[in-house]
Amino acid sequence: MIEPENIRVKNIAQTNERTLAIQWTDGRADAFDVVDLRRKCPCAQCVDEWTRARTLSPEAVPDTVRPLRVDSVGSYALKIQFSDGHATGIYTFQMLRDLAAQIH
Amino acid sequence: MGLFSDLKDKLSGTGRPGSLVTEAAVNTALSRVIDPDLHKDIVTLGFVRNIDIQGDHVALEVNLTTPACPVKEKLKAECETELLKIPGIAHATVTMTATATRAAPTAATPVTIPALAGVKNILAVASGKGGVGKSTTAVNLAFALAKTGAKVGLLDADVYGPSIPKMVKITRPATVAGDSMMVPPEADGVKVISAAMFSTGDRAQILRGPMAGNVAKQFLTQVQWGELDYLVIDYPPGTGDIQLTISQTAPITGAVIVTTPQEVALIDVRKAIDMFKTLKVPVLGVVETMSYFVCDGCDKKHFIFRDGGGERLAREFGVAFLGGIPLDPAVAVGSDEGKPHVVAQPESTVAHAYTQASGMLARQVSILNAQNDGALEQFTLSWKS
Repeated sequence: MIEPENIRVKNIAQTNERTLAIQWTDGRADAFDVVDLRRKCPCAQCVDEWTRARTLSPEAVPDTVRPLRVDSVGSYALKIQFSDGHATGIYTFQMLRDLAAQIH
Repeated sequence: MGLFSDLKDKLSGTGRPGSLVTEAAVNTALSRVIDPDLHKDIVTLGFVRNIDIQGDHVALEVNLTTPACPVKEKLKAECETELLKIPGIAHATVTMTATATRAAPTAATPVTIPALAGVKNILAVASGKGGVGKSTTAVNLAFALAKTGAKVGLLDADVYGPSIPKMVKITRPATVAGDSMMVPPEADGVKVISAAMFSTGDRAQILRGPMAGNVAKQFLTQVQWGELDYLVIDYPPGTGDIQLTISQTAPITGAVIVTTPQEVALIDVRKAIDMFKTLKVPVLGVVETMSYFVCDGCDKKHFIFRDGGGERLAREFGVAFLGGIPLDPAVAVGSDEGKPHVVAQPESTVAHAYTQASGMLARQVSILNAQNDGALEQFTLSWKS
């Protein structure tokens, strides 16, 4: 039994033009819409640091935005370099798993 | 079915003519030997290799997950006992070998840091604040692991106060290879890199945060670490910028928290543990320094500070207590003379304590790696449009 805080990525792949699939070490598999990920970017430019309110409006992100590359950050997160030049968001594994749980 | 498989064993087994003992019988016997940390038998774990049966003599290798295994001798004895129980076996030769496990198999996607591709485990040695003996602990743990036959690197990431070259005498400077990668010098077989190698004498390291972070990053990405079982990183004390940079750059296997008994009461050490928790770096255990003082007159252990603080801290956070290191003025002498304690005075109580702690550490790493089976260490994905 893996403790929730030790769950990491077992496999990561692009499954179609705008879907990022992640298989976790606990066996769960999630699929993410990359445009949705861009809209939910957790960085300080997209979320107010004091109020935690989202300052990035979803309409400001076109449906055509795509990642250029996805890289691991330490052993707790990943970062996505987007085609609109935005690359500052660090998506923790915990955040991604919570995000996927909301969608389901 | 049983008959058939017995027959099959006899036909295909490696038992030589004249020997009635089959490899299957040997495996059955050894499946009663359980690894105390991984809680599985050594046959299932795939530790048993090169079984050779000659008449009434069986020889084989047991390949453990770390050369620093503290229960090596006990496992060896258990194997021999079980082997000698097999009817027809009168002699058993068990050779213990080791291949350190790594946190994850080589990733399908290319690793993001080629310099670390051959490094199996990266261990962070950290503390809540300075002056607790963190660097001394990092050095002695590294050299204790190396003494067991493991391939070890030591990275002094304490960019502002690098002290490792003072504790480990480096005779050769770091050189730069053709591909602009730094080649770390070696001391007693341990590859060492420190910020102190790139400055002169007692000059202060006056660097702004981003620069200091860059230096630490370069030590991870632009050093030819080669094949290592363990890369021990001496973190700067506290929870600052450099610690964050290192943890975000390298896939840290786990962290060792160094504390003195009286520091346990302070908030700093808890913050350090919390930092690793946030960064998803598992805390492998706690080492308590300055635990007690052995008086040269009476050989009694004097607990100058409160007794058992490190152990309580470990229990509170649910991590292993790797050991308590006694206070010994000779540690400071050893450190200043450029020889780590475990190398200079291997028979001293301090060296024993560090050797034991390194064994416990290696054990925790093996346990963690067994649980972490299949996790990608580092990954890069290029998006195709």
